[in-house]
Amino acid sequence: MRKYLLKRILFSLFSLLIVVMVVMLLVYTAIDRSVIFQTDDVWNKKSNNDRTIYEYTMYGKYGYLSYVDYTSFLKVKYSEIYGEDYANSEEFKRDKAAIQSSDWQENESVQEFIQKYGNAGYKLRYLEPMKFRSGKTKPGGTGYLIAIQEKNVVYRLWDYLRYFITSENKNMVQDPELTERYVRFEHDPYSGLFAIVGSGTQHKYLLYFDGRFPFIHQNWLHLNLGTSYTTYRGMEITSVINNPTGDLKTSRQQYPNMLGTDEYVETAINFHSLTYNTGIVSDVEKTQFPDKYTVYTYNRGGLSMIENSFVIGLAAVIIAYAIGLPLGILNARKKDRLADKLGNAYIIFIMSVPALAYIFMFAWLGTTLFKLPYKFATAGIMFLAYILPTCSLAVRDIGGLMKWTRRYMIDQMNSDYVKFARSQGLSEKEIYNTHISRNAFIFLVHGVPASILGCLVGAIMTETVYGVPGVGRLLTRAINTHDNGVIVAVTVFYTTLSIVSLILGDLLLAAYDPRISLNADKGGGR
Amino acid sequence: MDVNINASEKNQEDLFQFIDRDEIASEKITAPRYSYWRSVFRVFFRKKSSIFMIVLLVLVLLGAFVLPIVWPYDMMENVLDPKTYNLSPAKAIAYFGGENPIKWCLGTGQLGNSIMYGIWASARTSLLLAIICAAINMTVGIIIGAIWGYSKRFDAVMLVIYNIIANVPEILLLSVLVYIIGSGFWPFVFALTITGWLGIAYFFRTQVMIIRDREYSLASRCLGTPISRMISKNILPFLTSVIVTLLATNLPGYINYEVFLSFIGIGLSASVPSLGRMIQQGQTAFLTYPWAFWPPVVIASIITIVLYLLGQNLADASDPRTHM
Repeated sequence: MRKYLLKRILFSLFSLLIVVMVVMLLVYTAIDRSVIFQTDDVWNKKSNNDRTIYEYTMYGKYGYLSYVDYTSFLKVKYSEIYGEDYANSEEFKRDKAAIQSSDWQENESVQEFIQKYGNAGYKLRYLEPMKFRSGKTKPGGTGYLIAIQEKNVVYRLWDYLRYFITSENKNMVQDPELTERYVRFEHDPYSGLFAIVGSGTQHKYLLYFDGRFPFIHQNWLHLNLGTSYTTYRGMEITSVINNPTGDLKTSRQQYPNMLGTDEYVETAINFHSLTYNTGIVSDVEKTQFPDKYTVYTYNRGGLSMIENSFVIGLAAVIIAYAIGLPLGILNARKKDRLADKLGNAYIIFIMSVPALAYIFMFAWLGTTLFKLPYKFATAGIMFLAYILPTCSLAVRDIGGLMKWTRRYMIDQMNSDYVKFARSQGLSEKEIYNTHISRNAFIFLVHGVPASILGCLVGAIMTETVYGVPGVGRLLTRAINTHDNGVIVAVTVFYTTLSIVSLILGDLLLAAYDPRISLNADKGGGR
Repeated sequence: MDVNINASEKNQEDLFQFIDRDEIASEKITAPRYSYWRSVFRVFFRKKSSIFMIVLLVLVLLGAFVLPIVWPYDMMENVLDPKTYNLSPAKAIAYFGGENPIKWCLGTGQLGNSIMYGIWASARTSLLLAIICAAINMTVGIIIGAIWGYSKRFDAVMLVIYNIIANVPEILLLSVLVYIIGSGFWPFVFALTITGWLGIAYFFRTQVMIIRDREYSLASRCLGTPISRMISKNILPFLTSVIVTLLATNLPGYINYEVFLSFIGIGLSASVPSLGRMIQQGQTAFLTYPWAFWPPVVIASIITIVLYLLGQNLADASDPRTHM
């Protein structure tokens, strides 16, 4: 069994890798890369050489290619000699200005740059200074010297996997000002319990408790699925789907420097989210915080995107199983009678009518008859906003479950063991509830993990119609805005979920039905 | 005693006589004639709902393929006259002076386009798309699925391919394809069929595997039947009802899928009228301009329900067990 599982997981990981590779090929190679600037305002404002440089910087940042420009090469070179003062050094100023002239190639540092990156397989490009006839430089027309190397798909995949999971340690922050470096247990003034607190780590609170589900949180391990480019400018996908949405939620809190005094402020800052400020700490922040951990996020009233999708999806799944299973059994028992005919009509309606049609029908009925809120954002009472999306999803799931339950029940009804049970004098109720349904459920059990984990993926149409801030629209929105990082991240997320739910389904099946063995050398099949 | 024996011998000669062997008559089977497809249609037409559905389907097909010729649809005809935008049926008939009330009896859409003409032109596109995609995907899917299920070596290779392609999000694949080859009608058909057959083939593979190891197939294989004949004569006839069921869910499936794709923004291009696009355009203001939203929804629903029910009836009829 353990061997089988191990093999399954290894094979799944392999196909996950290939899937990621195929998706990377699709989004990075198959589509013209310049489309990423279609919705970029910064790009629109830049002109001439500056625009080209901006393009290369962005291509570099979003993984299309490796990109080095001559100035940053100089910075590294002279900061080794002069430290922080490299920018004031005469050599740096002279070498930096050299590429603006026509004899740029004769400069010593330029030679060095060309040799270093030329040997490493980079393509070198010199953008000539662009001047007006008067001799004045055009806006954004300064000269540049850059080295570019295209990334191939294998290298890109390796790069993605290398930083897939990172953990924090006390030497992460590179700042000579920071003298104390530690990771230790401390009393947490914000929860009243203890927390693991770090100094020198990216996050201040590495493990802490608070009032939000699941009550214990960690910032220790980070899953780097990818970075968003357009839709959520520069944000990590994991934080996009995990950070709470909705309005700011203020509460009476104390800044770290106020602790111990009886001074309080109304603020929505989430003090557990403090991260290290690598830039300059403002004077106001200096009075509020004892250290350089001054970057924070806010507490918000709503659930996070993934929680929204999961709550709606899970409620729909529970309703569907609670209603669909009994109705399916009833239909099978009353085969060809009125109840069955009504049930069949419902199934046919759900199976054949476009899903969009009945979602809108629901929206229309709910808003006109029951005065339920239609759009999520305009809902007064949050609880009510969840009702219509949940029902719309449940209506579909009930239809599907009824169909299959009825089908499997009827298939079992003519089996020999049913005839035998009947000949023994068992009541119809006993036959249906303990004999037939238990055998019919074998086929349904396999889908249970998939339907629960599937909630994490969200429902595209339902969420769009009701304006639910959920994960369902993530992929389509990313595709429409060419947000490559999100596309890859979402694919990894979806694929992992589908693989895990398949494996769980098989395990559940084997646990439910003792006749089924997953080991190759036991049981039937070949 | 002797006399008696002789008498009985004589009697026997009187009662029986030899007749010549008739080669043709010996080939005849006296059991009642059974033709599979005739029985299928006998059972199919026994249901009153089938006849009703066929009439409805013929009407819809006529509407979708003949009406757009009689009523040429031009979604841009009133684009220069903003007063015609989003008119309710009554206002539209009044605005256009009642010269062609049928054309305006369902009001106008976002760009002053006639909803009545639009739904039929759109139904034509959607039906064509569904029929062509289903035909291609079913043919390729069934052929490959049959080989896939039959050959174990092919199975090992195909499973790896299936696991990979099935996990690449389909809307991503579609949108990349649409980006590369465009979103006209035929490029869209290509995008839908390039991997669309895989799911059908996989489903069919499992069905074939179940039949493959039945006793009669094993016996047939022992007698040396070649693979092509095994598939075409031993396995496929057994799966006719499965194929018809698949067709019954597939045809309306493509219409629904087109609606879904248009809704999320990777459907057919704007110049091709389709039900999905009409519904997508109507949904943004479906509470204020309901006449632009519900007609395409109703047409799409009628088409899908009729196709689904007809398919179900045909699938029931194609199961030989119902031919008694």
